[in-house]
Amino acid sequence: MNIIVFTKRVPATQEEELRIIGEGSAVDLSKVPFKVNDWDNYSVEEAVRIVEKSGGAVTAVSVGDAESDEVLRRAIAMGAKDGFLVESGDIVHDPNARATLIQNFLKKENVPFDAIFTGVQSEDDQFASLGGILAAKMRLPFVSMVIGIDSFEKDHAVVRRELEGGLQERVKVMLPCVMSIQTGINEPRYVSIMGIRKASKVERKIFKSADYQENVTAKIEVARWIYPPKKAGATILSGELESACKELIGILKEKGVYQ
Amino acid sequence: MSYALVVSEVRRGIFEERNLDSIGLCTHLGKDAILIIPEGEYGIKEQLVNSIVKVKVEEAVFLNPLNMVNILEKVVADRGKPDMIVFTNSSSGTELASYAAGYFDLPIITDVNSCDKDQGIFYKSYYSDKIFGEFRPIGNGTAIVTVRSGSFKDFAADKDVAPSVGTMEDVAVSSARTFMEFVEEEKSDVDITKAEFLLSLGRGVGNKDEVSDYEELAGMLKAVIAGSRPVIDKLWLPKARQVGTSGKTVKPKVYLAMGVSGAFQHVAGMKDSDCIIAVNKDAEAPIFQYAHYGIIADMHKVRDKLKDILKG
Ligand SMILES: Cc1cc2nc3c(=O)[nH]c(=O)nc-3n(C[C@H](O)[C@H](O)[C@H](O)COP(=O)(O)OP(=O)(O)OC[C@H]3O[C@@H](n4cnc5c(N)ncnc54)[C@H](O)[C@@H]3O)c2cc1C
Ligand SMILES: Nc1ncnc2c1ncn2[C@@H]1O[C@H](COP(=O)(O)O)[C@@H](O)[C@H]1O
Repeated sequence: MNIIVFTKRVPATQEEELRIIGEGSAVDLSKVPFKVNDWDNYSVEEAVRIVEKSGGAVTAVSVGDAESDEVLRRAIAMGAKDGFLVESGDIVHDPNARATLIQNFLKKENVPFDAIFTGVQSEDDQFASLGGILAAKMRLPFVSMVIGIDSFEKDHAVVRRELEGGLQERVKVMLPCVMSIQTGINEPRYVSIMGIRKASKVERKIFKSADYQENVTAKIEVARWIYPPKKAGATILSGELESACKELIGILKEKGVYQ
Repeated sequence: MSYALVVSEVRRGIFEERNLDSIGLCTHLGKDAILIIPEGEYGIKEQLVNSIVKVKVEEAVFLNPLNMVNILEKVVADRGKPDMIVFTNSSSGTELASYAAGYFDLPIITDVNSCDKDQGIFYKSYYSDKIFGEFRPIGNGTAIVTVRSGSFKDFAADKDVAPSVGTMEDVAVSSARTFMEFVEEEKSDVDITKAEFLLSLGRGVGNKDEVSDYEELAGMLKAVIAGSRPVIDKLWLPKARQVGTSGKTVKPKVYLAMGVSGAFQHVAGMKDSDCIIAVNKDAEAPIFQYAHYGIIADMHKVRDKLKDILKG
């Protein structure tokens, strides 16, 4: 089995104060640390497990600036054979344009595959669209929110899709296909610094996005970035930790959940 | 005719509540809405839309992206191009929407939570709700949107006249992807939906070893432990404890969220709690927008301090 798996480098914004700059034209990410997209970590692991069982190879692909090499090294440390960087300076905010670029790239470079894995969504843009758009453009079957792969045969796979409220559906899909992988599908292996250092010795190929621009046009535009409108929000229990915690216990008593 | 096409999400005979957000968006934008739905007894309030197309296929066939593009193609052949095609922002909604966007080469904006109808702008969350982008489809063709649940349902209102109802037959069905069966979640002996007081742990808990100290705190407070998805994904807590769209919807008297950022998939599962208390070290965490009370601090310090006070 040959599996192409997409992996994206994203800003870790959870604990950061984000600033909008240039009168809404950009979000300042210059001081934000970056990491691998959580969903892609699970998806790389899943691809590697399948290949470890059935043979073949995993090719990790990232679209981004030179720094994205970091997530490719990580994927190689996890067991991917190749790391391909499609270098593009400007970030495309349109998943449609990104999918067209990727489609052109896969076609032109003739990367062989039985399945293409993406994550369910990027942590930064939360579009949850790239896999579906790519599948449709390539006229391949698509399954999203894959939370379990029950079998992976030569010509088909049986997988579980996550629905809402704990419910799943089992579907059969013919290969080649595109799947978007949901977190929790597996336990991604630990990647040590040593492992990444070793992976650095494996050559990663760099491609220039300029070579794959046919029909790549944005279909949506961002007029402006804004801070979400604030609601009244929480009453903050401030002051010393001791007094805040005492207040908290007071609230629990008042609500009748603690005596 | 200018109109919007609303793709219903139906499952096991139920017309999902979040379809009202899709319909509400059309009403808000002043667009006639055509609802497409598999034929069956869904007990929908038909008057909410202008027109209904009942598709003679099973639910599972309808909710399959490989078939949905064929259904959409037939509607458009009959009725002309819509201004937009609206889907729910759910597991099936995003799957259908993204595939349709690629298939028909259309602009797509997902997870829309509000809009500016005069400027034709859709608001979409970025960075787990820390920033919103004002998105606009380029050109005047059909745009695809998925709508965040809870965002527009209040706009849905009865039309003056009853909708015209038509049926669609002979939909081409793909064999490249087929539904096999539903798989239910395993039964568990704890039911977090019954608890009056939930202590919910988010990724901020840091690592598995910390969890037992929170279980101890929960024991002292007589609270039941729950968690956000990453904590369950990492197997630090069992799946039955997960709060959110893909876990449980809870409504306790008190929901104490520690180290939870407040992503909408989590919030959707707990926002109706009587009292929400959030502990987070990031003052900008969206959870503080939904909480009644908050403490901006390291959750471990709060935990230890609470224990000290309770012991004392
Ligand atoms: C289809 C789909 C379904 C989903 N279903 C669910 C679901 O059912 N339930 C769910 O929860 N999520 C769900 N998610 C995931 C959701 O989008 C978020 O990724 C998730 O809710 C984030 O969890 P979190 O808040 O624990 O982690 P994060 O977003 O990483 O937030 C961690 C928070 O902890 C804070 N923190 C860190 N360290 C400390 C400290 N020492 N003290 C205090 N605070 C600290 C940080 O400031 C941050 O705000 C779903 C996603 C998708 C795509
Ligand atoms: N720039 C990128 N490079 C590599 N993979 C990407 C990129 N953008 C999106 N993806 C893949 O597509 C998935 C869904 O992304 P999105 O549609 O942006 O939410 C991600 O989990 C990645 O696997």
